[in-house]
Amino acid sequence: MSSDPDKMMSKADKMTKLTLTRWSADWRGATELYEQAANGFRASNKYEKAKVALEKASKGQEMQASPWDAAKHMESAAALAQKLSIWNEVADFYRKASELYIECGRAQPASDALGKAARALEDVKPDDAIQLYTDACEILEEDGRDQMAFDLYRACANVYIKLEKFTDAATFFLRLGVAADKCDATNSQCKAYLSAIIVYLYAHDLKQAEKCYNDCSQIDAFMKSDQSRSASRLLTAYNEGDIEEIKKVASSSTVSNLDHSIIKLARKLPTGDVTAIQMNTNDDLDEDDLT
Amino acid sequence: MPVIDIIFRVDEICKKYDKYDIDKQRELGASGDDAFSRLYTSIDSDIEAVLRKAELASTEKNRAAAVAMNAEVRRTKARLAEDVVKLQKLAVKKVKGLTREEQESRCDLVISLADRIQVIPDGNEHAAKQASNDWGGGASAPNKNIKFDMSEEDMDDGFFQESEESSQFRQEYEMRKKKQDEGLDVISEGLDALKNLARDMNEELDKQVPLMEEMETKVDGATSDLKNTNVRLKKQLVQMRSSRNFCIDIVLLCVVLGIVSYIYK
Repeated sequence: MSSDPDKMMSKADKMTKLTLTRWSADWRGATELYEQAANGFRASNKYEKAKVALEKASKGQEMQASPWDAAKHMESAAALAQKLSIWNEVADFYRKASELYIECGRAQPASDALGKAARALEDVKPDDAIQLYTDACEILEEDGRDQMAFDLYRACANVYIKLEKFTDAATFFLRLGVAADKCDATNSQCKAYLSAIIVYLYAHDLKQAEKCYNDCSQIDAFMKSDQSRSASRLLTAYNEGDIEEIKKVASSSTVSNLDHSIIKLARKLPTGDVTAIQMNTNDDLDEDDLT
Repeated sequence: MPVIDIIFRVDEICKKYDKYDIDKQRELGASGDDAFSRLYTSIDSDIEAVLRKAELASTEKNRAAAVAMNAEVRRTKARLAEDVVKLQKLAVKKVKGLTREEQESRCDLVISLADRIQVIPDGNEHAAKQASNDWGGGASAPNKNIKFDMSEEDMDDGFFQESEESSQFRQEYEMRKKKQDEGLDVISEGLDALKNLARDMNEELDKQVPLMEEMETKVDGATSDLKNTNVRLKKQLVQMRSSRNFCIDIVLLCVVLGIVSYIYK
């Protein structure tokens, strides 16, 4: 066999093409050649060709009914596509890999593949990234491994925050809370709820934040935690228009244990005019005044 | 003048003025047939005793002991005051063999006795005197008598003003308390960080538990596979080795090699 990857590629292609002399494709031989060719291309930094070789190798493995190897090749191809910045191929390849993993019955690698795709696309195509994260979380939840989904939820919420879609971010934190509740991970749950409340406050949506706090207070684990105390202090500070108190809570250790993006949001509180809220409460008192 | 002369002269003078010596007269008259003189002498001696106690109390360093002594003095004063009243009644009574001047003098004696009792220091004037000074001027000797009687003379302006000492003490106390608070804050922040770390570690370990279990099942499967393979391999080897032919083959091969090497040497 010649060590020239191109020659190997052409030979392998010939092996798989059905002609008069060849009635059935020799996938095994072809796959081997494809793999060798891919290694050769990678060594000589011809990533485009390597990617193509890996794609074909994966196809070969699939034909040989070994989805695991096929998925592995797909992932390698996707990584190369990432290096070449061909983004839609990245997403496609990782999705294909994920499907193959699910065929194997292995949910964790499937969601890992989607996670890697999402991370690659975070900066370039955030909407696709969000979709990939959501799918990854769903795969894990179906398999009953919610704990692994925490990091994915957090990453997804961070993407939303970067896109400044705060309600969506808060929704994801609440979903994190639900997943944490299923696994009795109270610390993560309470941190998720506090993060959601802070996101609402950053979006200057005090009503929503209070509603969120009230909803979360139904849960015992949250009620007894430090995070709920910080949340209530923050909300009372907002209601009284006490900027000093808000800053103090934002720099407290409870908030500093959350994600970096949330800490950044908290430090920027209060957004907008806090005194306006105070005026509204005074008006209410006047209405109730019976004299 | 030589000393002995002085002594004689003093004795002469004393003898001359003996009749003015109340104590001696009292002693002379105290073989006393009447109740008045008896009571009088007893009250007198009591007053002397109380005065001595009062002196002791005023020089006493230990405040609690001083307070106790002053209380004792006050109690005795009260008792003596009652006795003086009795004495007064006796003084007014007419006694046989007593001149009118003596009677009047008895009344005077009673009054003087009452005054003497009043004058006995029981720590009260001490407080009144010091309270009337301006404490803000830095009274160096703080009041040793701790009292709770709210007599009017105590309630003037100077009474509640703090001295330099006490304000300094308060400042130092506040500073130390602030330092302690700061230290405690630092400790509490550290503890918060530790608690968070511990909880996260706890959750991570909880995540790892099912993974470990899965690994365990997989590894168990792999071990049993390996065991099977090993048993089979051993069976094969045993089959091969136990055949005599195998040994005979090796021996004959060696012989042939030996012959060949011999031929070609």
